[in-house]
Amino acid sequence: MIGNQLALVKRELWEHRSIFVTPAAVMLVVSLIVLTLYIAASGFGEAVEIAIITASNVGETERRVALIAFLLGISIVFVIASGILTIFYSLDALYAERKDRSILFWRSLPVTDAETVLSKLLTAALTIPLVTFAAIVIAHLINLVVSSIFVAIEGGSPGHLIWGSIPLFDIWGAVLIVLIATPLWLSPFIGWFLFVSAWTRRSPLLVAFLPIIIVPMLEYFILRTTMLSQAIETRTNAMPLFKGIDPSTIFDEHKLAVAAESVSLLALLDVGKFLSSPSMWLGLVVCGLFTTAAIYVRRYRDES
Amino acid sequence: MTSLVTARGVSKRFGKVLAVDNVSFEIEKGRIMGLIGPNGAGKTTLLKALLGLTDCDGELSVLGLDPFRQRKELMQNICFIADVAVLPRWIRVSQLLDFMAATHPNFSMSRAQELLSHTKVRHDAKIRQLSKGMVTQLHLSIITAIDARLLVLDEPTLGLDIIFRKEFYGNLLNDYFDGERTILITTHQVEEIENLLTDIMFIDEGRIILNTTMDSLAERYSELMASGDNAARARGFGPIFERDIFGKKAMLFEGVDREQLADLGELHTPSVADLFVAKIKGAAA
Repeated sequence: MIGNQLALVKRELWEHRSIFVTPAAVMLVVSLIVLTLYIAASGFGEAVEIAIITASNVGETERRVALIAFLLGISIVFVIASGILTIFYSLDALYAERKDRSILFWRSLPVTDAETVLSKLLTAALTIPLVTFAAIVIAHLINLVVSSIFVAIEGGSPGHLIWGSIPLFDIWGAVLIVLIATPLWLSPFIGWFLFVSAWTRRSPLLVAFLPIIIVPMLEYFILRTTMLSQAIETRTNAMPLFKGIDPSTIFDEHKLAVAAESVSLLALLDVGKFLSSPSMWLGLVVCGLFTTAAIYVRRYRDES
Repeated sequence: MTSLVTARGVSKRFGKVLAVDNVSFEIEKGRIMGLIGPNGAGKTTLLKALLGLTDCDGELSVLGLDPFRQRKELMQNICFIADVAVLPRWIRVSQLLDFMAATHPNFSMSRAQELLSHTKVRHDAKIRQLSKGMVTQLHLSIITAIDARLLVLDEPTLGLDIIFRKEFYGNLLNDYFDGERTILITTHQVEEIENLLTDIMFIDEGRIILNTTMDSLAERYSELMASGDNAARARGFGPIFERDIFGKKAMLFEGVDREQLADLGELHTPSVADLFVAKIKGAAA
């Protein structure tokens, strides 16, 4: 039921305050670093141009690239932080309620185990990305305002140099798509973490990561093949969302220049390719299997 | 049908251990049933089976539902407080009430708030900031605010001081019990609940060794204090248990006419605790 799901997801946000605290902390740190850099740079007076942003003599395209890089750089920090947050959240989601012995209280309410586990999956795969997205938007705005102030101090026109040059909605659209797509692509890991969290009696972090390291090693030593490690590697770095480019070269100057001229980060993304990727759907199936197993463990295991 | 709980041949096995061994009983509407047994007797396992928290063999019906397979429906009409089912320490009282209102169709927010207004529990407090007694008050208030047909209490007052314990049972009778609702309760502190029970069931080694109403308990069992020759004569009636008290013999009889014993010494109805000891030790002898 939708009503139950809303209440359950809300409960997750009450319990796991880190879902809000982490992005807020990242926002604070990133903004402080940017501010410090500006202050340090302006300390040198006119001798130093404040990055490319304040330089009104560079071309339109270069300035756009620099601004996109600036905002993407900020976004990346959030994405990494939210990735780590998702790992810790999923590992804690079904473990904490057993550790603090509140599980029997939760189970005394008319809520099924499936509904509960689903709400935790939803929190990991959708709520955390959405909260992260909101934090990124706020961080972008804060840092653009800060930049505008420094540009103005330097005698530039922020309206033209910054706000007129940056395709904000294009960046935000692309960031949102990446934030939603990444957990879908990595869903087998989220499912696995939830299962470990429901199943293990101690140290979920260790129990979750040891097999990921040891099983491929065993495969290599025993079978002399590397299928598992390749599968894990492909899963972690080749999300079929990016158009014909390797995501690791996204900051490549040349590629970015191309992107900047096309004036669109969104144009780099291929949602159709992502949605029609069998690999993505297979991953969702694996996630479904692990989630079902987690529901089963919660339902059938006698905790006392 | 007035029977809320029906168990026929219910068993639960953990590996080689038979925790509940072919148990059959019924609990009728409006009763307050005490389930008494030593540690490891299978009480908690039986309660878990009733609450749909564990699967079992045999035929078990609670409010006409299969507890394990229809747990969600069951939980709309049943509540429980167990020492092992603690409230989460991180949640605020107000959040807990909101969550109950959102997920429990039979929960009354106004009733819960009214009940809580008689306690020192503040709405903005987190559970971790409350004393154990206050947490139990909170839990009972929440449960009482649910219009449930069956309340299951598993050692609800464990670790509470005597004042909170008395208050707990007082509130239970005044606020919760209305003759329509039914209560199933287990506790070690039998003396404290003895006079609120209407029915009693003893369980030992997974088996029910006594299942009776409190009324017929007084008719069926008697305890005699006797000494010397009288004690020897009384022994002829076959006491189920005998112990020494201040140089006298205290003997517990089952199904022996009181008039036959009346001349032999002081006669009274045994306490549940004494009867329990007699039954457990008697079964072991």
